[in-house]
Amino acid sequence: MSLSSDQAAESLKEIDRTQRRSGEARRYAHSSPAFILWGVIWMVGYTATDFYPHHSGALWAFLMLVGFAGQLGIGWQRARAGEPHPGMNRYAGLRMLASFIAIGCFVTATYAVFGHVGWKQQASFVPLLASLFYVLIGLWAGMRFVITGIAVAALTLGGFFYLPAHFLLWMAAVGGGALILAGLWMRKI
Amino acid sequence: MEQPDTLIHQPLRLKLMAALRARPEGEKIEFVRLKALAEATEGNLGAHIQTLEQAGYVAVEKDFAGNRPRTRIALTRVGQRAFEDYVAYLRGIIGMGG
Repeated sequence: MSLSSDQAAESLKEIDRTQRRSGEARRYAHSSPAFILWGVIWMVGYTATDFYPHHSGALWAFLMLVGFAGQLGIGWQRARAGEPHPGMNRYAGLRMLASFIAIGCFVTATYAVFGHVGWKQQASFVPLLASLFYVLIGLWAGMRFVITGIAVAALTLGGFFYLPAHFLLWMAAVGGGALILAGLWMRKI
Repeated sequence: MEQPDTLIHQPLRLKLMAALRARPEGEKIEFVRLKALAEATEGNLGAHIQTLEQAGYVAVEKDFAGNRPRTRIALTRVGQRAFEDYVAYLRGIIGMGG
């Protein structure tokens, strides 16, 4: 048996396509629980902020801790299932904590630099920042991240400009809902 | 390699090996996900996996996730080497070298 040059090229193309799909599917599946976790956190956080605006600082601090613990739990569960993230080792928790602190410092510094920032601007800045991360990650890791990022950014801006009176509830339902839907989408191949 | 590895040469088995090779060494893929990745039907997928298992190219593990039966497949080192040899063979044909 021997192959022609065209047949060999076709086989290599098929190998490349299947490997790309397999790699993307792995990255999507690994991200799915995190999207769902943060979707639920957004739903709870924005809804509670709408009803108890004076406690929003403490509330979001608590929810960030829940998110941090949840991320660690997801990583631990993956490792137990024999599918650890490449960066998941004994320093992963510290790196994740450092990432949370870095993001927190960046957001706080940005608010400080821009001076007085209203609640609506604050409530939309983090989702827009998250959208940017999704798009940037997606450019390297898979188109679904890009689509999720664009959708979350568009929904955030839509609520900000066209539904200012109910922006927090909009972000709870539509922003949080979009993340949960993205998480479910990521599970599919 | 003078001749292609006929076990891998079959188009669906080639896709299975490629999908498994894209994962970190030893990582298992669930049967249903592998089926979707290889765009296969359930019946023929089982037969092809069995062929690859008999050749020592893949390892099949059956267990329960909760109450749900689960079959997971991983590429073995022998399978990894065979796949890489096959890719090198293809590249040799089109003059890409290896």
